[in-house]
Amino acid sequence: MIRKVLFATLASMALTISAARAEDTIVWWDFLSGGDGVRMKTMLDEFNKEHAGKVKIDATTLEWGVPFYTKVQTAAATGQGPDIMTYHESRMPLGVSEGVVSPLTPEELSAAGIKPSDFSPANWKAAQGPDGKQYGVPLDIHSIILYYNKDLLKKAGLLGDDGKPKGLDGAANFDSALAKLTANGVVGLSTPTADNATMWRIFYTLLNQQDGQFLKDGKFLDGDNLDKATTAIAEMQKWVKSGGTPAKTEYPASIALFTSGKAAMHINGVWEVPTMVDLAKKGQLFDWGAIQIPTFYAHPATWADSHSFAIPNRQGNPVDPAKRKLVLDAIHWFNEHSLEWAGGGHVPAYLPVQESAAFKALKPNSDYASLAKTAVFDPVSVLAGVASPVYDAAGNYVMPAMNGEMAPADAAKQMRDDLQGQAK
Amino acid sequence: MSASVETGADVFASRRAGRLVRLRHLDLVGLVITAATVVGAALWAFPLYWALVTTFKPENEVVRPAVQLWPEHFTFQNYVHVLLETKIGIWYVNSLVTSAAVTVLVIVTAAGAGYAISQLNFPGRRLFWWMILASFMVPIPALTVNHFILINQFGLINTLPGVVLPQLLAPVTVIIYKQFFDSVPKDFREAAMIDGANEFQLLFRIYLPMNWGITTALAIITFIAAWNLFLWPFVAVNSEDRMNITVGITQVHDAFGVQYARDLAVAMVAALPVALVYLIFQRRVTQAIMLSAGIKG
Amino acid sequence: MLRSKRTEILAASMLMAPFAVTYGVLFIYPTIKMAQLSMTNAPLIGPGKWVGFDNYFRLASDRLFSVAIWNTLYFVILSVIPSTLIGLLVALGVNRLKGWLQSVVLAAFFLPYVLPVSVVFRIWQWMCDKDFGIAQHVIQLFNDGQRLSIFRTIPLFMPAVAVVTIWWLIGFNVLLFIAGLRNISSEIYEAAQLDGAGRWTQFRRITWPLIWPVTVLVFTIQMILQLKIFDQVYLFSQGGRIDTTIVMVQYILKQAFQMNKGGLAAAASMVLFVLIAALSVLQFQLLRARGER
Repeated sequence: MIRKVLFATLASMALTISAARAEDTIVWWDFLSGGDGVRMKTMLDEFNKEHAGKVKIDATTLEWGVPFYTKVQTAAATGQGPDIMTYHESRMPLGVSEGVVSPLTPEELSAAGIKPSDFSPANWKAAQGPDGKQYGVPLDIHSIILYYNKDLLKKAGLLGDDGKPKGLDGAANFDSALAKLTANGVVGLSTPTADNATMWRIFYTLLNQQDGQFLKDGKFLDGDNLDKATTAIAEMQKWVKSGGTPAKTEYPASIALFTSGKAAMHINGVWEVPTMVDLAKKGQLFDWGAIQIPTFYAHPATWADSHSFAIPNRQGNPVDPAKRKLVLDAIHWFNEHSLEWAGGGHVPAYLPVQESAAFKALKPNSDYASLAKTAVFDPVSVLAGVASPVYDAAGNYVMPAMNGEMAPADAAKQMRDDLQGQAK
Repeated sequence: MSASVETGADVFASRRAGRLVRLRHLDLVGLVITAATVVGAALWAFPLYWALVTTFKPENEVVRPAVQLWPEHFTFQNYVHVLLETKIGIWYVNSLVTSAAVTVLVIVTAAGAGYAISQLNFPGRRLFWWMILASFMVPIPALTVNHFILINQFGLINTLPGVVLPQLLAPVTVIIYKQFFDSVPKDFREAAMIDGANEFQLLFRIYLPMNWGITTALAIITFIAAWNLFLWPFVAVNSEDRMNITVGITQVHDAFGVQYARDLAVAMVAALPVALVYLIFQRRVTQAIMLSAGIKG
Repeated sequence: MLRSKRTEILAASMLMAPFAVTYGVLFIYPTIKMAQLSMTNAPLIGPGKWVGFDNYFRLASDRLFSVAIWNTLYFVILSVIPSTLIGLLVALGVNRLKGWLQSVVLAAFFLPYVLPVSVVFRIWQWMCDKDFGIAQHVIQLFNDGQRLSIFRTIPLFMPAVAVVTIWWLIGFNVLLFIAGLRNISSEIYEAAQLDGAGRWTQFRRITWPLIWPVTVLVFTIQMILQLKIFDQVYLFSQGGRIDTTIVMVQYILKQAFQMNKGGLAAAASMVLFVLIAALSVLQFQLLRARGER
């Protein structure tokens, strides 16, 4: 009797083991939490279901920013880490210099059906290293947008007949719009004025709208770029000084100000679209919309970054070719299904999806998808990217300037000197 | 100061009267001090109370401008999310395993070393004692990088033993044990040696049993310190499955939207086990820690 | 006699061995390696070239490094002195209580100590939130009805973090002081009362001198602990002006993990180690000398 049970147990174990061996596992690290995390998890479940018995993705989420990139660095250097990871394109230069990411050969890319022509040139280039090799495949373009409260804008005469804001283009017009809203007893614009990342994004947007260049030929804010930087920071400071934007507001508080109906406009990333959509579904939100950031200066431009997929360069334990093929196939699958990802507010990087009718019908994404055409990506530098000295500099200089603690010219100058000093 | 017999009664009477007056006076001041202490304690405990209350409110109630000392709509919803949607179970287990391992290993090694330095004469004893005192002054975080490289060389990054190892460096425990073993009367030792006992028997039959109080205290302090450690487990662990609770709650932080109550609920859940342990063993901890003040620098 | 000496040494070796091995591997070796690393330009992981004292010269000319040192010292002054004194005051108050009231009051002061730093951070960040924190109602009373973002206002940052730290760690000091107070026999106080000594005189002439050794002990422990401050400062300054409030350990970790400069980080660690050792010896001598007056 016991022998029968033992044999049965061993047999089922053997079957399970052999079955498990037939299914490959892809170890996946990402930094996507909150709404993004929920969406990615849904997509991962879908992938696993579709590929059951063949490939399974085993995903871990680590905290966005410094923790994620530190972990990736230490893991790769010790031969550990995942088979695939999400990676901000803005961090690519640093990642390449640290030797953390592994180059993707044109052969393996085309074998998986990944073509450069399926992505916008700027987007594709931003995932390359200084050696011209491809280190990542973009998944999305994410940017900052202007959320707005239709009722409050209408009351101040700032809403067009198409339900979109009007009279916001041009720095002077925007300022007077803020003044009108403040006169109505409403907060004109709420934005995380205590968060360095937001400071950077808004600043970079305004700088590029003036055709300014943050980094050129190894020089930060050189020549008249310094003046353009000063102009950008001065404009941001004006919003706070005029009372149009509350100073030193933390990230969650700035959202709450908007969703509670106290603020007419809100500048934040596209990733908060699900927050708005969910509240609206529960009937807890007013009539809202979102558009591309208004054009304050010469021409439209918006800061953008891109979530891309990369394969880590594991020292002494590289990802083997068979696994790499599986990974790249998976990446292609995610690109083809990136319409679902767009539900998180992002703009899909994969052009066949971005230009599809289905995406064009997706609201509110289609209202601001125009930003993809004039998106500007972070400067190509080891000092740039998420959780980098550039982001820190935004917190050290742009933030106090916006909140009225530093003169804009000083802030720009000190930021330039600080970063130039670290570039040695 | 000694009164002569003739005026003794008068002196005594006047002293007694004076003492009564002063006693009443003391009582008033004393009462004020007691009240101040209790009010101080209430203020000190308020942040914890406020955080706890917030976790039982729904998110939209949390961001209301008015102060609500008790939730209008009492809800467990924030906790449900924490317990079901995060890997908190695994983190608890990891914290428990690593903290328990650290505690046991530190107590065992420190008791042995403390006893040896206290009772035995061996070459290098002085030198070793000074080095232990010096290591207490070293900022362990500064060694983080080197510990990382070292643990990596052992191949123990992202493993629980890798998390445990650097925490075994506990000079304070050795120092305290040494002080306490020093204060055990020599007669016990001499008597036992006459009876033919060896050092191990001395340690386990006499010195340790006489010091269970301090052992308890050190064990609890070591456990709390290990449970609460953030920096080393943060650096040494790569995957969610190996994180301990303090690292876990910062890693899976819902960065989007308005999540005040939920974040606090996670924080509360992380702190709960240790708080409960403390409340249960409170008396013991208090007594035992007070004993350790026997070190007078 | 020779045999017992040998057995003594043998026993000593066996008892010391576990600790000595861990100590050697986890402290001596890494410290030596750290000293070596500080003389190279190595990245976080991997070898580097010998550069002699170059890293130390870099530190000397790095403004951020001196800011880190000053901030650390400033923080120690802000937190160690008050926490020692408050610990003593609380101990004096608690010592007078009895029974369940004493237990409850003691628990109120000690409970924060068992919390991990991330929990302490969440609680205080929430309480002080500029838009929705309950502390703002109190702040508005003192600030012309205006709300204030405490941790984003630079002059308030260090004091605020010091307050949070004191709230967190006071329990330990209180217990040590209570033990010290219990060691002073009540007969001394009774005799003093009979002699007409008032409360203040009792404190000045009896309590303070007799509790001095414990005061020194508490002060020393707290000072060494706070010189190694990192967690609270890092957590509260994230997203803001981190360079202005940076402390030593934070600087070390920035160089190591953000800038990928292992050698430079090691050099900074050596400087911190020497600083702590020097300060410990110094304050020990000073306080000891005062006490023996």
